[in-house]
Amino acid sequence: MKFLVFSEDGNGATGLVTKLRESGEVDSITLGGEESKCINYGSKTVTVLKGRAMGDNSLKAIQAMNPESYDKIFISSSPLGRDIAGMIAATLKSLVITEVFDFTLENEIIRTKRFFYGGKTILEEESRAKVITTQPGAFEAKKVDSSSPLNFVELEESKISLEEEVEKDRSGTDIESASILISVGRGIGKKEALDQVKPLVEAVHGELSGSRPVCLDYKWLSEERQVGLSGKKVKPKVYIALGISGQIQHIAGMRGSKIVIAVNKDKEAPIFQECDYGIVGDLFQVVPKLVSSLK
Amino acid sequence: MPMNIVVLIKQIIDIDQMKTDPKSGEPLTQNIPMRIENLSKNSIEAAVQLKEKNGGKVTGIIFGTDKSNAAMKEAFAMGVDEGFIITGYSGNNPTYTASVLGRKIRELGSVDCVIMGNQSADSYTGLLPGLLSAALSMPLLGNAVSVSLEGEKIKIKRVLDEKDEIVSAQKPCIVSVTQEINQPRLPPVLQIMAAGRKPINTGQAEKGDFEMPKVLSNLAPKSDRKREIYEDMDKGIAEISKIIRGEMK
Ligand SMILES: Cc1cc2nc3c(=O)[nH]c(=O)nc-3n(C[C@H](O)[C@H](O)[C@H](O)COP(=O)(O)OP(=O)(O)OC[C@H]3O[C@@H](n4cnc5c(N)ncnc54)[C@H](O)[C@@H]3O)c2cc1C
Ligand SMILES: Nc1ncnc2c1ncn2[C@@H]1O[C@H](COP(=O)(O)O)[C@@H](O)[C@H]1O
Repeated sequence: MKFLVFSEDGNGATGLVTKLRESGEVDSITLGGEESKCINYGSKTVTVLKGRAMGDNSLKAIQAMNPESYDKIFISSSPLGRDIAGMIAATLKSLVITEVFDFTLENEIIRTKRFFYGGKTILEEESRAKVITTQPGAFEAKKVDSSSPLNFVELEESKISLEEEVEKDRSGTDIESASILISVGRGIGKKEALDQVKPLVEAVHGELSGSRPVCLDYKWLSEERQVGLSGKKVKPKVYIALGISGQIQHIAGMRGSKIVIAVNKDKEAPIFQECDYGIVGDLFQVVPKLVSSLK
Repeated sequence: MPMNIVVLIKQIIDIDQMKTDPKSGEPLTQNIPMRIENLSKNSIEAAVQLKEKNGGKVTGIIFGTDKSNAAMKEAFAMGVDEGFIITGYSGNNPTYTASVLGRKIRELGSVDCVIMGNQSADSYTGLLPGLLSAALSMPLLGNAVSVSLEGEKIKIKRVLDEKDEIVSAQKPCIVSVTQEINQPRLPPVLQIMAAGRKPINTGQAEKGDFEMPKVLSNLAPKSDRKREIYEDMDKGIAEISKIIRGEMK
């Protein structure tokens, strides 16, 4: 089979290409500057879209690659990826299955798994969908010895003009590869309270992550640290949830963790249904004691 | 400049109230009330704010069922001026949904801006914005946390993983919004009552020949967590630090 893979940030292609190369030949597409992240995973070619990528001009570039000739087109889910997935699906008039975190292929039949009802159920489907969007980080990436030949394509002018770019303070962390995550929720109350959590992060050599309100609404942590349905899917050895209620959209991002530990002052918090070990109590009392007990 | 704004409204069962059967994992959807999907509410609020600022009209479209009237009335109460319900929605097939909604939008004629959620809260598909952008040949301003009209252009702030961008395009455009764009208003009782009397246009969706995926199962994921909960803090800490130390080796 022949597969086309699009990943806006390059990282989304690594695990996906690793999985697909077992079943066929893969051509990958990424944006300029991201190619180094995905050239060692066995793609036959990596096409690099150079210039300012928007939905419309990226679609044109992909159309020029003759998408009809591929058996399936996989797109790593991201803001631009989803926009493009819809556009490609419209032009190919194909069924699309979205936000897939697991799949098996049997010729043109694909069996997919994705969350439904806001993360409360897993919907397993069988179809001939030609376009599939996948959750980044869902598949394990394994490098190969060779590197893929690069193919540079200059993007056309987009109908959308860029007026201003606002850089975000990215610490460059990759919470998906941490083996212990200390995850904080609205229960920490304010940004300054992070200082009281950090000794625990250091004691366990872990990384900080958080729920959506903490990362997006209040910006106490950067967005790249958000765990959940609309954030990162993480699978650490230990996931420690501090002041996180455990809403289903959050659970959807940490379900793969080996051991889950929760601290919450509310005995009825749903997180206690989804943890291995839990302490009912104030995190500001529990954390310092836990730190000294670990020393 | 007065604007002709279309807002796409999805109606879903109240997923916050929905439970799954503890034994079989089946979703228990019976007797769960319907409501407007979260991002559709943010879309209505964004559309109404644009109208309040620039003048014009907001038209709501629901591809739903004969039970979608309450959702449209709520949209009216929030400030939507005219409403179309297209019945025949039977499940999540974005390609079909886009074809039905796209046809209706084309029928409406001169539209300046189509506003919708970037990913709906139940199915979490996130595909309609791109599908409609291609089908209607309107540029897509996606993932907006703010939207404004500037002359002949629509301008949004767009949130991406690595950076934020302020981008604009000539109208007509499609705008998809995120949850952070606004806090949807709670309409006052008087407005809700007035909305109840407003007529709703209804019609049936044309049958489409669209492949539907075959559902193999739709069940709550099994959780094999141990659930050892300590109300005695010191005992819990002793136990948990043992576990963590074990994993750090
Ligand atoms: C489409 C969609 C996508 C979403 N995606 C995500 C996502 O990717 N990730 C995500 O996290 N959410 C997501 N959400 C939001 C989700 O529904 C919840 O709103 C969110 O997870 C709640 O975050 P929280 O647990 O930090 O806050 P809350 O629910 O407010 O919980 C705070 C908890 O802290 C406890 N607490 C307070 N003080 C203390 C203390 N001193 N010590 C101990 N405990 C304390 C409280 O008892 C409470 O349980 C999404 C929602 C939608 C609709
Ligand atoms: N059946 C529908 N009727 C009207 N609008 C819809 C429908 N389904 C989805 N939408 C709109 O499209 C957005 C994104 O949905 P989706 O692409 O399904 O995740 C929603 O937030 C709605 O604004």
